[in-house]
Amino acid sequence: MMNETAAMDHERSRRSFLKLFPLGILAGVFASIGGAAFRFLRPKLFAATDSWLDVASVSELTGPQPLARKIVAEHIAGWAITTEEHNVFVLPAKNNQVLSAVCPHEGCEVAWDQNTSRFSCPCHESFFAADGARISGPAPRGLDPLPMRIQEGKLQVQYVAKEQATRA
Amino acid sequence: MTPPIEKGIRGWLDVTGGIVGVLLLVQFVTGVLLAFYYVPSVDHAYTTVAYVEKVVSSGAWIRALHHYGSQWLSLFVFLHVLRLFFTRAYIAHRIQWIVGILLLGFVMAAGGTGYSLPWDARAFFSTRIAEGLMAGLPFVGRMARLWLLGGSDISTITLSRFFALHVLVIPACLIAVVVWRVFRGEMFGPRHAIAGGLVFLLLAFWSLKYRAPLGPSVVDMTADYLPRPGAQFLWLYQSLKYLPGGLGSVAGVALPGLVLLILVLLPWLKQQRLIGGAILGVGLVLVVVMTTASYVSDHRNPQTSRQLAIQAAHEDVWRREPFKPATITLTATPGSESASGGPPEMYTKFCATCHGPNGEGARQGRLNFPPLLDVSTKPRRTVDDIVGLLKDPPAYGLQPPMRSFSNKLTEQQMREISEWIVKLKR
Repeated sequence: MMNETAAMDHERSRRSFLKLFPLGILAGVFASIGGAAFRFLRPKLFAATDSWLDVASVSELTGPQPLARKIVAEHIAGWAITTEEHNVFVLPAKNNQVLSAVCPHEGCEVAWDQNTSRFSCPCHESFFAADGARISGPAPRGLDPLPMRIQEGKLQVQYVAKEQATRA
Repeated sequence: MTPPIEKGIRGWLDVTGGIVGVLLLVQFVTGVLLAFYYVPSVDHAYTTVAYVEKVVSSGAWIRALHHYGSQWLSLFVFLHVLRLFFTRAYIAHRIQWIVGILLLGFVMAAGGTGYSLPWDARAFFSTRIAEGLMAGLPFVGRMARLWLLGGSDISTITLSRFFALHVLVIPACLIAVVVWRVFRGEMFGPRHAIAGGLVFLLLAFWSLKYRAPLGPSVVDMTADYLPRPGAQFLWLYQSLKYLPGGLGSVAGVALPGLVLLILVLLPWLKQQRLIGGAILGVGLVLVVVMTTASYVSDHRNPQTSRQLAIQAAHEDVWRREPFKPATITLTATPGSESASGGPPEMYTKFCATCHGPNGEGARQGRLNFPPLLDVSTKPRRTVDDIVGLLKDPPAYGLQPPMRSFSNKLTEQQMREISEWIVKLKR
């Protein structure tokens, strides 16, 4: 009687081992691909371009209102070099400071509302004053100024991506 | 409930299903990974595949696993079907039998559609052949071709169709078949796992040693390029050499379809042993003889083997070159602010008709005019060389219709054009 139970136990553990064994081999196969998959999918960080991009001639930047301008920046990302436009605002009243249009909250693009004389974000109702300072809403701070310089009568900026801008 | 496990050598013959299972899983996982980078569009497909090969960590290995895995899978599904036939599964295990036949069909379809995706020279020809095979079908040929291509010609829509078939439709069919099999048959046993694991190990080392081939891009393809299909299609490739015109479509599409249908219905037919044996026997002989013949004829013909060696050498050189990214412009006013600026006036007047308004090349009737993009990376193509070339094309190895512009352009104008051309990048 005892012997029979022991034999059955033995058989049962043999069976459960035989069930686990294939799973172990499959796990091995996927561990080897999984390790490669991790390296395969790992995001590649690209150095920010530090080139200076033309915004406008200084002579055309006048008046009390923020002026909307576009800059064309090149990004190297993976298999493509992407040339993209970005919206910026020039503040002639504030020594031609250039603000990124990217809202420091979640990254939507703000628009200048002439009637209320403020920037408004279309996504979560953050508002900013004409100098970029935060008025109200969920944004943690005012609009981000971009590094700028004046070269041969042209206002130039360096584009700073949102990821870097929000890190502060 | 579970059928008795066969002992000894017969038990080990039983493992083909396990190997097929493991290889199918490998195809699914590597396929999903490749989809993280691949773009099914004629302007970026080749670049993204090249990026996976050259830049992405483990990319060459993952792609080789997928490429050679598809060939091994075809072989093992075929062996699986042979094994099922010899154990008379079409009587005792109908579902296993039907699943085996369906797997064979879907795996070959996945391989056929997959070859088009890298959009290299091999893909170009593979797509052409798929087009031709469809077009040659009796009665339905015209419509079959149009539906496969998504239009009157091979285009980026065609590539999207092959992509959707390869990564959505066929895998969905494969999953359905495998799920059916798993729920209606005995589970994966230890022997299946050992055999599957061993074959995976072999495939893993094979894929480390051999890179998945990638031919030149369609743009850089020369007229003497010799395309060769993957190993699982060599039998068809070789057979098409012997068959005149429309017969190829019958042999390559209609006949395999009919054969698969008969095999699926085998459990309900009379004279099963005779019909199945005849089909599989003829199939086996055809595949072995034709595949061998294709290797032998490539090897024996000195001209062919020399050209294939040249192509392999070109591919080696290409692998050592740094990756060239594609350029994407997402501006409302394209080109107006690009770094290289517009073409010089004289370029537009004299060169643009043949080489394209921005040096991208052009086709006129049967003539293919080469693009000028990246021309500065080639030997003897500095600004001074291009000025010299514009004066005397034959001295730089160029043939008509390229002609001398000495009497049309001034030295200054030629220099302007050359300085603009060397800045052109893909």
